[in-house]
Amino acid sequence: MNLISLRTPAKTLFTILAVVVFSIVSSFDLQAQEDGEKLFKSYCASCHSAGNNALVGPGLAGVYDKYEREWLYSWIKNSQALIASGDEQAVAVYEQYNKVLMPNQPVNNEQIDAILTYIKEYNEAAPAAEVASTDAAEVVEEGEAETSPYFIAAIVIALLMVVVILRKVQHLMKVVEARIKEEDIPEELTLGQAIGRTIQSNKTIFALMGIVVLCLFAKSGWDAAFGIGVYEGYEPEQPIKFSHELHAGTNGIDCNYCHNSASYSKSAGIPSANLCMNCHTYIQEGPQYGKEEISKIYAALDFDPVTKTYGPNQKPIKWVKVHNLPDHAYFNHSQHVTVGKIACQTCHGPVETYTVGKQYAPLTMGWCINCHRETKVQMDGNGYYDEIHERLPESLKKQYLEDGTITVSELGGIECAKCHY
Amino acid sequence: MSNNKKYWKGVEELNDTPDFQLKKNNEFNEYLPAEDFLGDEGLLSNSNTSRRDFLKYLGFGVTAASLAACETPVNKVIPYVVKTDKTNPGVANYFATHYYDGFDYCDIVVKTREGRPIKIEGNKKSPYTQGAINARVNSSVLSLYDEKRFKAPQIDGEEVSWSKFNGELKGKLTEAITNGGKVRFLTNSITSPSTLRMVADLVAAHPEADIKHVNYDAVSFSSILEANESSFGKRAIPSFQMHKAKVIVGIGADFLNNYPSSLELTKQYALGRNPENKWMSKHYQVESSLSLTGSNADSRIPVKPSEQSKVVLALYNNVASMTGGETLSKVSTPFDERVKKIAADLVKNAGESLVLSGSTDVNTQILINAINNQLGNYGKTLDINVTDNTKKAVDSEVISLIKEMKTGSVDFLVISDVNPSYSLPSELSFDEALAKVKTAVVFASRPNATTASTKYIAAAPHYLESWNDANPKTGHYSIMQPTITPLFDTMQFQDCILNWMGSDLSYYKYIKQTWEKTAFGMQTKSSMFEDFWNNCLHEGYFRPSISNESVVTTFNGDLNAAASAAAKTNSGEWELEFYTKVGIGDGSQSHNPWLQELPDPISKMTWDNYVAMNPSDAREQGFATEYGEQKNADTINITINGVEYKEVPVIAQPGQAKGALSVALGYGQTIGKQNEIIGFNFYSAMNGMNASTSSVSFEATGNDYQVATTQTHQTVMGRDSVVRESDWNTFKNGSKDDFNPAHMLATHEGPMNVNDVDLWASHPVAAAGHHWGMSIDLNSCIGCGSCVTSCNSENNVPVVGKDEVRRSREMHWIRIDRYFSSAEEKLDESDRSYGAMELPEDNPMVVHQPMMCQHCNHAPCETVCPVAATTHSNEGLNQMTYNRCIGTRYCANNCPYKVRRFNWFSYQNYDKFADLNPAQDDLGRMVLNPDVTVRARGVMEKCSMCVQRIQTGKLDAKKEGRSVIDGEIETACSSACPTNAITFGDLNDKSSKVLERSKNDRAYRVIEEVGTQANVYYQIKVRNTENNLA
Repeated sequence: MNLISLRTPAKTLFTILAVVVFSIVSSFDLQAQEDGEKLFKSYCASCHSAGNNALVGPGLAGVYDKYEREWLYSWIKNSQALIASGDEQAVAVYEQYNKVLMPNQPVNNEQIDAILTYIKEYNEAAPAAEVASTDAAEVVEEGEAETSPYFIAAIVIALLMVVVILRKVQHLMKVVEARIKEEDIPEELTLGQAIGRTIQSNKTIFALMGIVVLCLFAKSGWDAAFGIGVYEGYEPEQPIKFSHELHAGTNGIDCNYCHNSASYSKSAGIPSANLCMNCHTYIQEGPQYGKEEISKIYAALDFDPVTKTYGPNQKPIKWVKVHNLPDHAYFNHSQHVTVGKIACQTCHGPVETYTVGKQYAPLTMGWCINCHRETKVQMDGNGYYDEIHERLPESLKKQYLEDGTITVSELGGIECAKCHY
Repeated sequence: MSNNKKYWKGVEELNDTPDFQLKKNNEFNEYLPAEDFLGDEGLLSNSNTSRRDFLKYLGFGVTAASLAACETPVNKVIPYVVKTDKTNPGVANYFATHYYDGFDYCDIVVKTREGRPIKIEGNKKSPYTQGAINARVNSSVLSLYDEKRFKAPQIDGEEVSWSKFNGELKGKLTEAITNGGKVRFLTNSITSPSTLRMVADLVAAHPEADIKHVNYDAVSFSSILEANESSFGKRAIPSFQMHKAKVIVGIGADFLNNYPSSLELTKQYALGRNPENKWMSKHYQVESSLSLTGSNADSRIPVKPSEQSKVVLALYNNVASMTGGETLSKVSTPFDERVKKIAADLVKNAGESLVLSGSTDVNTQILINAINNQLGNYGKTLDINVTDNTKKAVDSEVISLIKEMKTGSVDFLVISDVNPSYSLPSELSFDEALAKVKTAVVFASRPNATTASTKYIAAAPHYLESWNDANPKTGHYSIMQPTITPLFDTMQFQDCILNWMGSDLSYYKYIKQTWEKTAFGMQTKSSMFEDFWNNCLHEGYFRPSISNESVVTTFNGDLNAAASAAAKTNSGEWELEFYTKVGIGDGSQSHNPWLQELPDPISKMTWDNYVAMNPSDAREQGFATEYGEQKNADTINITINGVEYKEVPVIAQPGQAKGALSVALGYGQTIGKQNEIIGFNFYSAMNGMNASTSSVSFEATGNDYQVATTQTHQTVMGRDSVVRESDWNTFKNGSKDDFNPAHMLATHEGPMNVNDVDLWASHPVAAAGHHWGMSIDLNSCIGCGSCVTSCNSENNVPVVGKDEVRRSREMHWIRIDRYFSSAEEKLDESDRSYGAMELPEDNPMVVHQPMMCQHCNHAPCETVCPVAATTHSNEGLNQMTYNRCIGTRYCANNCPYKVRRFNWFSYQNYDKFADLNPAQDDLGRMVLNPDVTVRARGVMEKCSMCVQRIQTGKLDAKKEGRSVIDGEIETACSSACPTNAITFGDLNDKSSKVLERSKNDRAYRVIEEVGTQANVYYQIKVRNTENNLA
């Protein structure tokens, strides 16, 4: 207000006018962006990202500035014709991206404009976020080096040597002392005798030490017993070197895209090979293993990547199961994902950084129960819980709502027959 | 009123024998040979296992076990290559289809998981069967995963390809047709419009040839068809409106089990028997053996088979004389007074009554028609214009086909879905006739007597792998759709015929064509055929909105001829009746172990058929009348119509008419991997396909036979508050205290209601969250056992086999306790002369009571478990955690209801059960419900109130963000109950049906007085009798 008041009325009027015009224009723009987003997702997103990272095709950030609009129109509508016509730019792009053809898109010029506007808006809005995420990925690479067991062994040997040398030195000192005092030269004690004497003279301390050692042994045995059947960190080699880091991390594919049944089924599901083909029909080469690993999907589907046809000899991919829950424990993904709104990472860890799938959580009953004790039930806006809440008499409301939260266990979530039946 | 009755489960309990007294106090009455073994010094000292060896093995075992436990299991997870749209791992799909095998028809919904059918339920939307289902239908899913099924077509016992098989037979058929030869089809009654059209097409395409289709039902209702042809000029079976009948008279008619459209009748019967209505139907039953239907009757007269037709004639005469009709030749029976009473009751309710007979005698059926006509019941309680189409076989046509075959003039014979070599009487010598047929093809899904001697065996798919359609009742059409890709290289009968006819249509396309031509035009809702078809497929049935004009038919039968024939029925000292059991039916599924292990609702026998005899007759003949682990049945050599059976066990069956014997059909076939034969095939002795005969003689062999009966297993220790019943008058005119008095406890403050006295603090389930409960109406429960097999299928209940059942180790989570009841004053047992007619076991009343875990809020089992393996949930469920259980069995000992079961063996991998238990091979395992744990040896198990269904129901509600809708969650038993006797729901839901029923005046809880606070309520049985003792 202050700013405006300082100016001349004419300027103020102009400013107001400008603001109005700009907002109208930008609202049109917004409209275009929304449409563009929709169009982008339906036509482009399976092969291109709107940012910088390459999927099948290159990331589209900057494409609106790099090429002429007219050229883009004809490329998007029929790239193959453009390449065939010998257009220099077109051939260059074709060569650059491993001669993967871009399919013709059934879009008109206005729609292409909308898509490009969306890409532009997207890149102007999100560069900061993108940078942050790439940083984060790099940070995780660093790790603490573990102490090597050889190093420890070397130290132990060195210490033993020191003990032996010191004993020799002590003995020599005593011999020297005896010589000086002209006494009898004392016999050199064996190591065993020396230890025996030390123990005899310090019985209480050694008894206590013995008890402590025993307890430590018992404790480690006990802990080891608890570890039986717990495969935390289990990271078996898989038939295909599938990397979650590349798919979920770098490419940012949502977990639910491949494991979609997690939201409505008991099992999260390993994606069927035909789901892979949504992208891998076009992405025939990966950044790490080239064509080798992707060709295993093609082999499963009997797919010919050149003619893009499926043969009859299909055979399933036999993945190695990582999370082995015992048969007598019932677990339902949809209960946790859809109703409980738990993030996948809570139980599966930072999957987007895994190059090989692994078991993050111990999957023990104690681990389950602990979470059920601590987790607050997501009741807001769920008619089921509204009804349950309504039934609760005042006396019990006090009991359960004392701490202001309702945990899973307060609703019976740690009862036996919630998971065992 | 109920206190002066005595309830008993078996003859041993009635007479309270010392052996029974010993047994009833010992739930696990297994015989342990420990003393024989340990007492034998010689055996012990000669044993080469020393103490040191024992310790060595123990040490090795412990080490090996702990080492084995350390190994990481490598499991494979194999996703689909190409996943179909709606098949999602972990999510069940449901498909509407129907079951029809010539004996039962049922509209069903099949539950599939990961593409495999695991459970069958009634289609609750179907206006015909209305969700009713029986044990045979819901067990049929197991037959799909039968290792013994034919896996490919066979020629001369060699497996061949279909192209070879069809090529060869197409040639033979063409040859027969071009030569003008006789082509015959022998199938069960076909209700499928498409199949009928196909046969008609074949006939029309070849006018030069002699092509004929013959319907054949092993258990036929030929007499009704023929009687209606004679009475109305229409060879058909009428449909019934039993819920409109105030008086129902069944004469040898087991209409709740074995009758045309028995599932529909069951539904209607239950509707008319609700005492909360203005009126309740009165049911009279006149029969020879105590049938499922007879066990539910208000008044029952046991008669010999030959007397049934005389009773019908007497009943007709009485009705005619009271209504002014013409009376026929007089006949006298010992029951004239009671028949007169029945007739009076019928006439009083003329137009609102129904008389049914199961007789295989045409004349008797004509008289039944005449009675119903005289009462004006046609068009009201039964309708000849709306017909039942599931039974079309006329016995004489089958017999003439066999005659034709014997002359050697039949060139081409196709047998499908029937097993005539097994189920035809031996006097017709079907096998001999079959050998004379030039080319015979048998369509069968597993080896049977007919396939044993045929050259061409076509491997037929199971019905869950097939396409078909049906028209079971006028105006009701349904589609059968496959729910799984065929497991083996099988082909349907219809697909083969189309192939042989030279058509390139599949049967699926052919059905669609039929529907487009006919059904599509009978409705106006959909304008596109595909819409219409998909809608029918989804719903499972179709009812035309455009119906045909009904044809009014008038009764026109020759009664005098019928009467004189009926009066002349042969009688004998002993007469025998053939009947079908609830589990096995006509025997087409006798290889199904679930059905073999289902206890017969009346005799409680499993795994056998036998000769049933009146207990006093049996005693007179010197046969054992009590059976158990150490008590065997005596055997006889019996000759029926000249066919001799050796070493047949005799069972004393209370309620059996004196002088009448009865035997169950459907047995004598093989089961299991070892092809063990179970029981005797009494079809062979059915002279002229009649259901009864007086040509019977027997002699005792002096041998005995082990039988497996669950009769007095899990007894309730003589507590008499288990079954409660009353009569119509008391119920209608009295107060709750008269017919269902509360249990009062004597306290120092005076008598108090047992529910107000409590030792423990109340459980907090009553107000918070859910409180699952169940209500069982004893008035509706007919004892059919559908809930038992449904529970087996839902909860992976193991099959244990005859030997284990004999030791009271059956694993069923729900059982149906069958109580006989009689007046307390017994006659002097020594007086068995003429007073014997009044002996309680001659004609007892029956109560069926489903019994499963009562989910007590103050559960006695929970307090005695040393490891807290059985605990209470805050939703009112008594939870059983198998992995915690160490098998002390304290819980079972402390359970007043005796509903806990102990896993004595590892039924899914111990050799002893390899032959019977479906869970032992990869194919059979496919039937297991993946949501329910398969229990290991040494743990207790019991009804969980289908907690997996509760959890699924709750989760569905949570996912959709709504509260649980009443009726949405059903247990396997409540869903399978054809009479809706079992209601399940949330007692904390103020509008729930289960809450309403639990507050009903008839509601009580079993053994309430011990303060268990059970969550299962029962409603007392009300009999439509003048007083409770009639």
